[in-house]
Amino acid sequence: MVEPVLDVQDLSVEYEAGAGTFHALTGVSVRLDPGRVVGIVGETGSGKSTLAHAIPRLLPEPPARIVSGKISFRGVDVLDLPKWKLPLLRGTGIGMIFQEPINSLNPAYRIFDQVAEAVAVRKLRDAGESPTLFPAPEPHDYSKGMVVKSGEALLHPIATKLPGRRRRARREALMQDVLDYLRLVRINDPETILDLYPHELSGGMRQRIMIAMALSAKPSLLIADEPTSALDITIQAQVLTLMKELMEEVQTSILFISHDLGIIAEMADEVGVLYAGHLVEFGPVEEVFANPRHPYTKLLLRSVPAQYKDDGPLPALSGSVPSLANVPPGCPFHPRCPLMRDACKTNPGPLLEPVKGISARTHLSACYYSDEVARKA
Amino acid sequence: MASATDSELGVDATPWTLLRGKASHLREILRPFIRVLRANPLTLIGFILVVIISTTALLVAIVPVISQVVLGHPVLLTPYDPNGISTDYSQAPSLKHLLGTDKLGLDIFSRVLAALPLDLAIGVGIAGFALLLGGGLGLVAGYWDKPRTLGGVISAVILRVTDVFLAFPSLVLALAIAASLGRGTGPSILAVLLTWWPYYVRLTRGEVLAVKHRPYVVAARAAGVSEVRILFRHVLRNLIEPLLVYYTLDIGTVIITFSTISFVGIGVPLDVSEWGTMVEAYEQLLLTHPWTVLAPGAAIFITVLAFSLFGDGLRDILDPRSRRTLVQAVAATTLPGQVAGAAEA
Repeated sequence: MVEPVLDVQDLSVEYEAGAGTFHALTGVSVRLDPGRVVGIVGETGSGKSTLAHAIPRLLPEPPARIVSGKISFRGVDVLDLPKWKLPLLRGTGIGMIFQEPINSLNPAYRIFDQVAEAVAVRKLRDAGESPTLFPAPEPHDYSKGMVVKSGEALLHPIATKLPGRRRRARREALMQDVLDYLRLVRINDPETILDLYPHELSGGMRQRIMIAMALSAKPSLLIADEPTSALDITIQAQVLTLMKELMEEVQTSILFISHDLGIIAEMADEVGVLYAGHLVEFGPVEEVFANPRHPYTKLLLRSVPAQYKDDGPLPALSGSVPSLANVPPGCPFHPRCPLMRDACKTNPGPLLEPVKGISARTHLSACYYSDEVARKA
Repeated sequence: MASATDSELGVDATPWTLLRGKASHLREILRPFIRVLRANPLTLIGFILVVIISTTALLVAIVPVISQVVLGHPVLLTPYDPNGISTDYSQAPSLKHLLGTDKLGLDIFSRVLAALPLDLAIGVGIAGFALLLGGGLGLVAGYWDKPRTLGGVISAVILRVTDVFLAFPSLVLALAIAASLGRGTGPSILAVLLTWWPYYVRLTRGEVLAVKHRPYVVAARAAGVSEVRILFRHVLRNLIEPLLVYYTLDIGTVIITFSTISFVGIGVPLDVSEWGTMVEAYEQLLLTHPWTVLAPGAAIFITVLAFSLFGDGLRDILDPRSRRTLVQAVAATTLPGQVAGAAEA
């Protein structure tokens, strides 16, 4: 059994707000093995982003509060880390790509300075000039995707354009890496954009730069929080293709969060389905999508429009996602569930407990009647 | 093209090519500023006025000191001694006395000019002190504001003290302090100094609260950047523009407040040339000898206006977003021939 990169166990997160307590996550467990891609899919307000932010401890506390659970990253208990050590965990340990590339780049800095900061974090830690939690060099080799490995770029005129000896020295020291990572994300003439500001680039370019920044720190775990949701559909396809290619090149473990079932099917090895803060189903992506064992997943998949097919109005899930302020007791899905029994109202679902000995159970489901769900076509 | 690249690379660099590289380098940096100034004439006017006013103030202040050292006696840049009583009293503006004289025969132009360094230094200095102190406190109060932590306690203390100051109108408070300290230049400077910084605490704190939850700050945190570095590199960097603009606009307000204290008669003594004091001293001559009052009044007006115009335009120069847009707008309106010519040059 391999040591998992990330092991989240029974994580519960609450938000304390004026109106009451919001149960953003309830007993969520996710396990991520090295080099794997785990997708988390769910509707708006199902707790996807809370999970993404909770793992590197980026949730603002208060109002957020981690009530219970354990997050173990490369054997380090993240929830046990003192506050001052958290920056050491982030970047080089856990990297992140955010939803809105325009807001996630600092408008005051040129592209070079943005990427250089990320590169510098890794360089200083590798050189022992700043402390790090994970001194061991990462197992991945990033050089495969790099097109040019010469000092050519250094000789480019732009490289000598900035004022100040100190700034120029810093620029020259980091230039090669910055250019390499920009090429890694398929920006062909990175020299031409080094001196531009984020607002002068297109959304797709900005997201490429965010990806380059996240990868330049060589994280063991990359959390992609809806990386393509803010992009239009053609750019989305480009960025996804890029990410898929990069996955093979850099072989980082990725936690891929999205509301788009298609994207998850494309990108992930395993998928977890979140509903109202509960992980209702988890397993290999083909298994979950082909034989869903939770009524929610099943109905969700049925409401995806099929291509070239017109069989009347799309089936939609009746009702709406419960407010996180009052998640129904028992199984959170029971008010909308066609298979609901009395037991569902009071007893919380058996949280992903696999029942051994039944060969049909190929993956984990939080439904009491998962066999029945799987049987019904 | 190739030769230009070579010289910039320092290949076969002679001292001359290096020097020339430096000069063109400077021009490269200044170009966007120059374009913004040209695109917005009011900013240009404000900028020119600020340069003229500052240069004049500097010369008026330092030439007497330098000449004292070099020549052994002070050389005044004012046509007459600002405190030298003469027999030309109550004269209307003429070539001899550009802005006339008062009842004691003091040359108004000389007095207005002599007051320039003091008033400008007060405006720049007091607003600058407020910017540094208030800005620093506001930064701390805004960034570490989490309740039930040490930072939260410190920030609460800062804000409550600020509230005490803000409970009074700043002019009333400044007047009260100045009155209790007694008449004099020093006490009135102290009075404005003490009342001015709380506004910067509020302003800075508000901006910090707005910026610190921006996604790029979270993204920097996620990238492993330390909190102190985030504060300076990501938060403070994005506050500089609004703060600097506010500061520039504020210089005029400080000058007016300071002049008001003098005008009420509890500020600068009469023998020190100061615009507010002059307006106060000559106030009763407004109908009979209007130049005595109008000249210092106009000096205040022009100085405040200059900094306001400049401050307004500063926003466009400092913000990369509007800078590029303006530059593009200018580039679009420039004739193709000019662009081609500029490219060749």
